[in-house]
Amino acid sequence: MKKTDILDVVARKLSPFILLFGLYLVTYGHLSPGGGFQGGVALASGIILLLLSRGSSPVKEIFPLSAVNITEASGFLFFLLTGSAGLVIGGGYLSGFLPVGRGGEIPGAGMILLLNTIIGFEVGAGITLICYYLFQGEE
Amino acid sequence: MRRIFYILVIALFSVFLLYSVVSVNPGGEALQGKDFLLEKGAEETGAANLVTSIYLGYRVFDTLGETIVLMTSVAGVVFLMGKRK
Amino acid sequence: MISTLLICLFFITGISGLVFSDNIIKKVIALNLVNSAIVILFIYSGSLSGILAPIILKGNENIVDPVPQALMLTAIVVGICITALALSLVYRLYYIYGTLDIREIEKRIGDK
Repeated sequence: MKKTDILDVVARKLSPFILLFGLYLVTYGHLSPGGGFQGGVALASGIILLLLSRGSSPVKEIFPLSAVNITEASGFLFFLLTGSAGLVIGGGYLSGFLPVGRGGEIPGAGMILLLNTIIGFEVGAGITLICYYLFQGEE
Repeated sequence: MRRIFYILVIALFSVFLLYSVVSVNPGGEALQGKDFLLEKGAEETGAANLVTSIYLGYRVFDTLGETIVLMTSVAGVVFLMGKRK
Repeated sequence: MISTLLICLFFITGISGLVFSDNIIKKVIALNLVNSAIVILFIYSGSLSGILAPIILKGNENIVDPVPQALMLTAIVVGICITALALSLVYRLYYIYGTLDIREIEKRIGDK
């Protein structure tokens, strides 16, 4: 398939803003519409836009396959460790141990901000990994 | 012959589906849960977004299982699409 | 009432696509239709209980019920996982048998 200049320029200029918007959705997920899953999919879509327009080898230099793999696996590890920290400090597994604010401030969200960030990176890495493997016969 | 059997199955299925959906009343009286969340949800979990306060506060084990499902699916895709030696 | 009937029609479209089509990729698309119909049904019946989005700012009283939205978040993620896994299974079947017709694949599996 022939690639035009419009596709090339638009994908390269738009992709950083999609990644930034994904990070905004992840970190403000408890105050505004958004959250870990939605922000993670937005992060992955920024990478997939680059992958569709530029081909897979330049993208794999910026986001290498091993780094995406490690992000996916260690995200789940951090989720389990956060739950175990709740078990050690007090309450039960996955119980909140950070101070809870009044709702409406960023640091006062208990462990929701922490879990949102972990889930966002894990979902983004997972969707990116699926698309890396599904697009591998392209070139 | 097989196509007639399929059409019969779909028709029977649609009749039962339409009957059960029409007989239920959406948006009925089950609103105590909403009132509880409106009153207590933000101050118990610290999140102004009530959907986030449900899936990371009250139902966090559901999210844990969902994460396991996502990781298992990624592992299956990597196993099925990887290079064959 | 008319919205619920339309959602039922959507669901039946997905089920009949799952039954009638022989192509495996069309079966995966029909599975996605069924998933979307369920999501739309839950979001629609949750949206009848209020007007505003379930975010507590000052003065927001008439919010919708947030429980169906949180449930459907789970359903959407599981749907994505099922679609990815089904597509890679389709890829393996095409790689081995060289066709996407499910009758043909069944016949060749029976011959072995």
